[in-house]
Amino acid sequence: MKKLALAMVALGLTASVSVAETVTLITPYLAQPGTQMYVQGFEAEAKAAGWDLNVIDTAGDVAAVISRIEDAANQNVDAIVINVDPAQVAAGLQVAADAGIPVIGMDSGTDPLLVTNVTSNGYGMATETSVYVANRIAGQGNVVMFVFDAFPPVQIRGVIADAIFGNYPDIEVIDRITPDVQDGGIADSRAKMEALLAANPEAGSIAAVWAAWDQPALGALQAIEDAGRADEGIVIVGIDANPQARDAIAAGGGFEASVAQDFIGIGSATAAAVARAMAGEEIKASVTYVPTRLITAANVNE
Amino acid sequence: MPSTLSFNGLRKSYGGAPALSDVSLTLAPGRVHALVGENGAGKSTLIKLIAGVVPADTMTVTKDGAPITLNSAGDALAAGFRFIHQELNIVPQLSVAENILLGQPGATRYGLFVDWKALSQKANSALAELGIDDIDVRVHAGGLGVGDQMLVKIASALVRDEGAEAPGLYVFDEPTAALSDTESEKLFDVIERLKKDGAAILYVSHRLGEIMQICDDVTVLRNGAHVITTPIADTSRDEIVHQMTGRELMDGYPPRIQSIGANPVCAAKNISSAKLDQINFTLRDGEILGVAGLSDCGQTEILRLFLGLERALAGSLTFNTSAAPRNPVQAWQRGVAYVPRERRSEGLMMTLGVRQNTLLPHYRGLFANRRAEIEKTRGLETDVKLKAVGPDQVVHELSGGNQQKVVFAKAIAKNPRLLLLDEPTRGVDVGAKFEIYSLIRHLSEGGCSVIMSSSDLPELIGMCDRILILHAGRQYDIIEPQGMQPGDLLATFYDHHKTSELP
Amino acid sequence: MTAHMRQFGTLLGLILIIVFFTVNLPDTFLTARNLINVSQQISMLAVVAFTMTIVMVMNDFDLSVGSMASLSGIVAAVLFSMGYPIWVGVGGALLAGLVGGLFNGFLVAVIGILPFVATLGTLTIFSGTAFLISDGRTIFGRDIPAGFSGFARSGIPLDTIGLEGLKLPYLTITGVIVLLLVWIILEQMNFGRRLYAIGGNIEATRLSGIKVKRLRMGAFALTGIGAAIAGLMYASRVASANPTQGAGLMLDAIAAVFLGMTMGKEGEPRVLATLVGVLILGILDNGLTQMKVDSYIREILIGAIVIAAVATSALGRRR
Repeated sequence: MKKLALAMVALGLTASVSVAETVTLITPYLAQPGTQMYVQGFEAEAKAAGWDLNVIDTAGDVAAVISRIEDAANQNVDAIVINVDPAQVAAGLQVAADAGIPVIGMDSGTDPLLVTNVTSNGYGMATETSVYVANRIAGQGNVVMFVFDAFPPVQIRGVIADAIFGNYPDIEVIDRITPDVQDGGIADSRAKMEALLAANPEAGSIAAVWAAWDQPALGALQAIEDAGRADEGIVIVGIDANPQARDAIAAGGGFEASVAQDFIGIGSATAAAVARAMAGEEIKASVTYVPTRLITAANVNE
Repeated sequence: MPSTLSFNGLRKSYGGAPALSDVSLTLAPGRVHALVGENGAGKSTLIKLIAGVVPADTMTVTKDGAPITLNSAGDALAAGFRFIHQELNIVPQLSVAENILLGQPGATRYGLFVDWKALSQKANSALAELGIDDIDVRVHAGGLGVGDQMLVKIASALVRDEGAEAPGLYVFDEPTAALSDTESEKLFDVIERLKKDGAAILYVSHRLGEIMQICDDVTVLRNGAHVITTPIADTSRDEIVHQMTGRELMDGYPPRIQSIGANPVCAAKNISSAKLDQINFTLRDGEILGVAGLSDCGQTEILRLFLGLERALAGSLTFNTSAAPRNPVQAWQRGVAYVPRERRSEGLMMTLGVRQNTLLPHYRGLFANRRAEIEKTRGLETDVKLKAVGPDQVVHELSGGNQQKVVFAKAIAKNPRLLLLDEPTRGVDVGAKFEIYSLIRHLSEGGCSVIMSSSDLPELIGMCDRILILHAGRQYDIIEPQGMQPGDLLATFYDHHKTSELP
Repeated sequence: MTAHMRQFGTLLGLILIIVFFTVNLPDTFLTARNLINVSQQISMLAVVAFTMTIVMVMNDFDLSVGSMASLSGIVAAVLFSMGYPIWVGVGGALLAGLVGGLFNGFLVAVIGILPFVATLGTLTIFSGTAFLISDGRTIFGRDIPAGFSGFARSGIPLDTIGLEGLKLPYLTITGVIVLLLVWIILEQMNFGRRLYAIGGNIEATRLSGIKVKRLRMGAFALTGIGAAIAGLMYASRVASANPTQGAGLMLDAIAAVFLGMTMGKEGEPRVLATLVGVLILGILDNGLTQMKVDSYIREILIGAIVIAAVATSALGRRR
């Protein structure tokens, strides 16, 4: 009985190898921790499904993503996953579409040429942190925002924060900073924050720092602590809840909240979408959301 | 211990063409041995084999009869061979002391900081060994004159580890090419001293005068083969030239046949510049004006006045009855041609072909006309008697004399009105020199005016109609050199010293 | 004989690479579709590398080409978003390339700053300008006219020569035209030959009455225009403009010229040799991707190949 089961598994394995679906995953951003986790989640599912997976990093070069999509289409793979703004790689998507190959977005953006885009709800995440800040400072005070409008998924977070802060008559956004992200964003954000602190020397003149992702929040935290103004109660929030941010939140300082995306979950949900697309199923929702979670001192250690 | 060095059966071919065929040479301690031959005779190849930088096809080297190996520059250094080249490789930014001790483990304090005092002492003692006491080792080497730079280089060759044997062989490769006569004399004193200390000296030069003066033996090479080795006392200048060239010495300088024209081509009236003072002359068509003086007295600057590179601050400068060109672009367009002093750094694009080098100032129109250019280059090659494989041979493959002919070909390609020559025969062998003299004479007889600066005094006397004597940028005199001896001309350089010392 | 080996070693390398991929990817590498793909993929790098060759002929350098490419895309996109027609956007981008290039040339030739330093400075100036006029945003979507992004997706149909459904991309054609122009400029025009003279010996060239400053400015201007063309091609291909998108072009372009220089008789850059360098880089990228070689290993390999080629050439030259 057992032997038979084993034999069947073995048979199934060989069978799955011989007809293994080939999937190509292309991203310009593999160096970023979040992307690595998407890929990790995706790889786990792909391995379980026995897919022949090729992960390609173009090291920031978007045009190269198009080239690699063309290469993949040329090899007639079964599905392609991209992790880049689809509008920028439309030329490649068209090639894939012409070749009849489904392309699934993994936290990329919405596009008619994509089967679906699997992502966190950026609007939702920004809402959570913006509202957290507004409530913590009781609807009044000066707020510093760190944004990055060049990258659409981050840009929408800023839009939400703008709207929410704008809705409170006593909250004033005194600066809306786009940090230089070439070094990861911490160092430059810190420098920008130091300048702002110098320009607003009185205690209480800055009530909160809202950052569209964690690195500027961490930079602002360092600047505030080094300026000896940690006791003013400046509320700092980020988004993404990366390990460094979690440490800061757990430490109980000014950095109070961030939002955790389920990166691994996005990866596995993308894999699920790929499986459905390869099976020929039609996916109606152009965006597939994976739930997020507000991280504060209360739940950071869970 | 002074030792006798023997180099036997030196053979070297480049791509099947023999550069050196079975040449042997014995260098005795305490003797200066001259190595002469036209460019391409194999002198450079021989030096490269001895230096270990080029592998010989065959070569046996013995030191007092015991064989030694020479497979690398390190072997040559270990054998006590030192090489002083015409192209100085001092580091101009460093001090004299640092240059002298370059490559030596430096004296340090606590193994970390430079011990400047010890450095200066070592450098001074190296210079003292050469009998030199007028070079300050603390100044940066780039500020020294060329002659002193050469002496620094020699001093650096002397430096060795404590207790190590003194170098047994010094090879001088055209050391005086860039030196003035006084500087050369200083060098000869140093060579005399090295010789007295028991070193063997191999002395390579085109200047037969100085060879007759300082050498004990001479070896003549021709076309890569050994012609003769003989004590200097047993030979003569004419004989050496005959052995080198395989032809009789032509009477040195081609005589003027046509007389100078009547029209002034260019004139300087009370010209002063950063480097020049009170320059006055008028040059008529076909006239050859020499510019002479101690080294670096403004000779180059006088030539460069007419290229617009040396700005006149006062006075008037005319060329062809209008103001002189303001930059090299205008100069070439108006028929001024220039043969600069430094062939490699100022005259030629070494990695490009003969054609591109000669025709560079003369390109016209948008597109290149290859066929016409090749034809033109071939014509010029014949005019200057250039020995090259073809119009597109890369210039660095040519010998020094032929490279200089390329520079000349560039200058004469468009029949210039005024030819500016700065050391026109520097580093050029006897045969090529005569060809260059004939060329200059031919141009001048055709009406082209020439201003030439040279440190070769017989050349100035033999070629020039008049010579302008400079001291420290100031015009001292204009003389007619016909019938003059080099010594008389040299004396005029020092006259000025005397007058300037008077109250 | 050995000189020829050295000179053609790089070309031999390219052929070996092609053979290697043909054997290992029998179905997908040496196909008309893939080759057309490669030609399109390398076209932007090629344009930058070809025009980079112009300044490298003079022993100069232009580090600012990548940020100029980004800036040119941004200039065009911003003009598009303001409602100007395509020709104005393209013209504005090319003008930016011309002005930026002239500025580089001015700094190098007239002021006398080392090209490395001068163009490092303008690299950040151009990049900062791109961020400034775009507000750091990626300009995409409706702002980019379909006619502009359509350029990179279209080409001349090749059905007539038996390649059903394939087309010769306009990007490829643009690359070939630039190659032809640069070849004419460098090899056939006196302008180019004077640039080679400057590279051979700038002082000797100046003393020969050549307008060195003006020529150098002209050369840098051409390189700037080349970078702007590549930036437009890139923007068209990604149907968007981002203030950093051209950044990767500079290093690859210099690598391609260096690869090509190993083929020069005297180690000088030649535009056709640069093409070989571009092809090596592009084909490696394409082939190794198809062989599923990890992208980081791919980068290491490409760096190693560039070093190996230049080292072989340097060793060969020493004798």
